[in-house]
Amino acid sequence: MPIELLIQALLNGFGLAVVYVLVALGLTLIFSILEVINFAHGEFYMLGGFAAYYLFAVGGLNYFATLVLAVLLVGLAGVLAERLVFRHLRGKTLNAFIVSLGLLWVLQATAQLSFGVLDKSVPSAVSGIVRVGGVIVSRERLFVILTAVALISGLYLFLKFTRTGQAMRAMAQDADAAALQGVNIELVSALGFGIGCALAGAAGALLAPIFAVSPTMGALPVVKAFIIIIVGGMGSLPGAVLGGLLLGAVEGVGTLFMSSAAVNILGFLMVIAILLLRPRGLLGAA
Amino acid sequence: MLLELRDVGKRFGGLQAVAAVSMTVTAGTIHGLIGPNGAGKSTVFNLITGVLPLTSGEIRFKGERISTLRPSEICRRGIARTFQATTLFREFTVLDNVMAASHLGAERGFVRTLLATTAYRVREAAALARARDVLGAVRLLDAAGLRAGALPHRDQRALSLAMVLATGADLVILDEPLAGLTTQESEDAMTALRALRAGGKTILLVEHDMRAVMGLCDVITVLDHGVRIAEGMPRDIQANPAVIEAYLGAEDTRA
Amino acid sequence: MPPELRRVHGWIGFGLLLAAGVAVPLLTNDSYHLDVATVTLRSLLLTMGLRYVMSTGQLNMAHVSFMGIAAYASALLVTRAGWSFWAALPVAPLLAALAAVPVGRVALRVSGPYYFLISFAFLEVLRLVFNNFFVDYLGGPSGLVEIPPPHPLPLTGGAVTFTSKLAQYWLMLVLFLASAAVLIRLEFSRFGLVNGAIRQGELLAETLGVNVARYKLGAFVLAAFFAGVAGVFFAHSQRVLHSSDFGLEPMVLLVAFTVMGGVGSVWGPVVGTLVLAVASELLRELHHYEILVYGLVLMVVMLFFPDGLVALPGRVARRFGRGRAKDGASTLGAGLAP
Repeated sequence: MPIELLIQALLNGFGLAVVYVLVALGLTLIFSILEVINFAHGEFYMLGGFAAYYLFAVGGLNYFATLVLAVLLVGLAGVLAERLVFRHLRGKTLNAFIVSLGLLWVLQATAQLSFGVLDKSVPSAVSGIVRVGGVIVSRERLFVILTAVALISGLYLFLKFTRTGQAMRAMAQDADAAALQGVNIELVSALGFGIGCALAGAAGALLAPIFAVSPTMGALPVVKAFIIIIVGGMGSLPGAVLGGLLLGAVEGVGTLFMSSAAVNILGFLMVIAILLLRPRGLLGAA
Repeated sequence: MLLELRDVGKRFGGLQAVAAVSMTVTAGTIHGLIGPNGAGKSTVFNLITGVLPLTSGEIRFKGERISTLRPSEICRRGIARTFQATTLFREFTVLDNVMAASHLGAERGFVRTLLATTAYRVREAAALARARDVLGAVRLLDAAGLRAGALPHRDQRALSLAMVLATGADLVILDEPLAGLTTQESEDAMTALRALRAGGKTILLVEHDMRAVMGLCDVITVLDHGVRIAEGMPRDIQANPAVIEAYLGAEDTRA
Repeated sequence: MPPELRRVHGWIGFGLLLAAGVAVPLLTNDSYHLDVATVTLRSLLLTMGLRYVMSTGQLNMAHVSFMGIAAYASALLVTRAGWSFWAALPVAPLLAALAAVPVGRVALRVSGPYYFLISFAFLEVLRLVFNNFFVDYLGGPSGLVEIPPPHPLPLTGGAVTFTSKLAQYWLMLVLFLASAAVLIRLEFSRFGLVNGAIRQGELLAETLGVNVARYKLGAFVLAAFFAGVAGVFFAHSQRVLHSSDFGLEPMVLLVAFTVMGGVGSVWGPVVGTLVLAVASELLRELHHYEILVYGLVLMVVMLFFPDGLVALPGRVARRFGRGRAKDGASTLGAGLAP
């Protein structure tokens, strides 16, 4: 097998996976701070996509501004969701899951009623291709990858070096101890949820020009996100990145050898294997 | 010799919580386990009851090695415990809490349950009677229909004890049974514990109330930093310089 | 609720279900209504089974997968191996239960939210298998078709066929009542008591002598068996099987019905399923609004009634009675929790 083909496959896999990592990071951030599995997370991805559609495709706004606005809007939606709904469910994982299911239906139905059921396409923001040796990458995909990496790095820096970020990490470790140390639990929870959703919204806005935008577009990314965080370790952000790289590699190479249906199964088999061999995930806390 | 710990050790990653602890508990005694905070007392309880696996050494109960058994198996053999934070089935009534505990060892009999055979009914009636007896012994029979979560603290502790007794255990392990009790309530509890001993039970307890420990226990084992530093009768322990050092030393670091 | 009254409580509830079930065909002859009633009974069987496994604290997202295993097994036994429906009826659920043993064992190795995730992974894997593998046997993406209805039963006075909605309703009712009888009996026995204890405090139950792993696996396998019963009926009444019947959407609906009703009581699924079935009928015309209303109802109920609707009388009773209930005289509400 020519090496270029392999690299191409890996790149395709990574290109997609890095965006799913954004979604996964959002999900795992929310889980680590609030101990809540937000099943409706994919809907915030969808909101990001629709924000991109209305601002960029319909409104004609500059794409960079669109991205910034989309992230802010979805982040705000996340904060609202936390304040209205999820703050009452901190730590109650089963109930939160059911409520998030209800939220998913509400958001889905509202989206279908407002935007219609059909796909909408968003024009490309960046055109052209880049060729390195025998490997081809579209500039658009490259832009997506670079932006995603920038966002991931931004998140890392935020969590490591800012007071709020450190407060989030403290809450993730032990919410009670954090409260005793003066962390404003309410504020950090709301911000954490907002940032988590904003990441998903960013992913949706980034992929909008590449895939079509539709009310159900959030279903697949959220499943991929679950796979990524189980493999990487729930609550672990480096784990999400590692899990994403693994998934990207496995699925990228997988499409060379098997049908797309079989490739889909690979991710779940990875999940089962991890849960059997190392349930906390590759980098998860014990 | 009812319970025997031989050279028991427990390691958590880099931390040696308990090291080379040996201890024997004689049947029909009240045995105290004391030591400053962090000495490893709760860890020892968790090791005995199978909640945590040993890293080294072995534990024998009635001569049989129990170190590798799961907690339910250890309970079947006659050891039951309470927890430091009162743990109950909060949504259940008081009676149901005790009934859950008295169904010990009743695992087979699925079909018999379905058909409500005589054997099943007989066993059910026996469990109910045992539950009522035990509630009577801790004076909670009147509260049998109340939700466990709604009980006052003192009654919740009594319920925990009742559940332990309902298992029919010979060795009763109590984690700070007097915590949060008033002086009068502590006195009552101590009387109850002595009555249990008189009835043939063996009690192993952790307690911080020194007056109670000295007045109640036949034998005391002292731990500090995961190691046994003394064992003997209350009188000897009180005078033991190593014990005094351990407690004073702990007080120094706190100051 | 004192144990002596518990069994009576169970039989009264079962009696009500029996009466209601028998009343339906007496009240209506309409094919559509009978179909709705049949589907409701089938959902009820599924949710009561799901509730049984959830009563031990296991949120099993693969519940419909076992329905699917039995459905496909029965369809294949009848169409390929020439079995009679009546022979497949006991065997296919047994196969589902057997499949549940290794799956349940594996799932038991993880706890809490991971359990939900690993069972979700099983759900998806099985759905993908139903959809894309063994296409010759399972039908692939277009589904498995031409499954015959239950074979006619020779009874005195002629054979009874099962092609009419009425006959199917009676069959489902019998299957449901038999299953409900077992589940209710178990709930009001020490199994139900221990299950509830496990859900409220696994470690405590274990240190009191309950082999938690064995009970949880037992509940998992039993629930799979009853999911299988529903699956066999599904296969031979719908007569077409498609992988989407056993995927995330139907599973998530079941979880919603069950949790909304309340996991702590055996009647929870009854309340939840009936409420949502009624809502579904009322909103039948407005498909998108239906989902929206479902979602809102779910959110509101779970936020205000975290223990489910079935715990509502208990909470009301507590608020007014202040827990004054004595042994033997507990109010109905306070005693509804098992």
